[in-house]
Amino acid sequence: MDNWQYLLLLGGCLLVTLPLEFMGEGVYRQPRRLLRALAPVVGVFLVWDAVAIAADVWHYNPRYISGINVPFMPLEEFLFFVVIPICGLLTYNAVTAGLAGLARRRQRNAERSRR
Amino acid sequence: MSGLGYTLPAVISVVVVSVLELAVLRTGLFRKPAYWISMGIVLFFQVLTDGWLTKLSAPIVIYNEDHTSGIRFPWDIPVEDFLFGWALVTGVLLLWERQRVKR
Repeated sequence: MDNWQYLLLLGGCLLVTLPLEFMGEGVYRQPRRLLRALAPVVGVFLVWDAVAIAADVWHYNPRYISGINVPFMPLEEFLFFVVIPICGLLTYNAVTAGLAGLARRRQRNAERSRR
Repeated sequence: MSGLGYTLPAVISVVVVSVLELAVLRTGLFRKPAYWISMGIVLFFQVLTDGWLTKLSAPIVIYNEDHTSGIRFPWDIPVEDFLFGWALVTGVLLLWERQRVKR
């Protein structure tokens, strides 16, 4: 079970943020925009990560990872760079939608009190 | 303790992302309350998840202390992780916003 710790943590992040998709314009609903926002940044960070691993700046505890590897790094580390920014985008999407909703309600109340 | 392997690139990543917005993309993201509220929420959850990844009692990610500042806060999180995380999330948000400007 220990070997799945890192993967389960990432899965938990996706699960917890999933409901945010139903607010506002969404993130997963705009796959092209998502891909264009992710790809360049994730590309740079993957290179950084691969160099850091090769230079022994950090490494991963074999006890808590699945042992599945993609080139230059454990699968979990690759997924980290996709999952964490998606969680950030979903948060921003939800906060933007929430603030817009508040502004609309405030405007409605102001109009009502004027009548 | 040189900090060259992690501290320096982490600081550089923050500078690069900031310059990217202020000089190149100019999406206006930094002026949006929604951005700063979101980053506050992201920071809270980063402390929870990163705290789990870096706890010295059973670390998932193990850092070579030769390449960090050695400052870990809160819990055992290397402070560099917060620069790294800010640059990663803000970088993606900037490219997301840029596509709104274009449309």
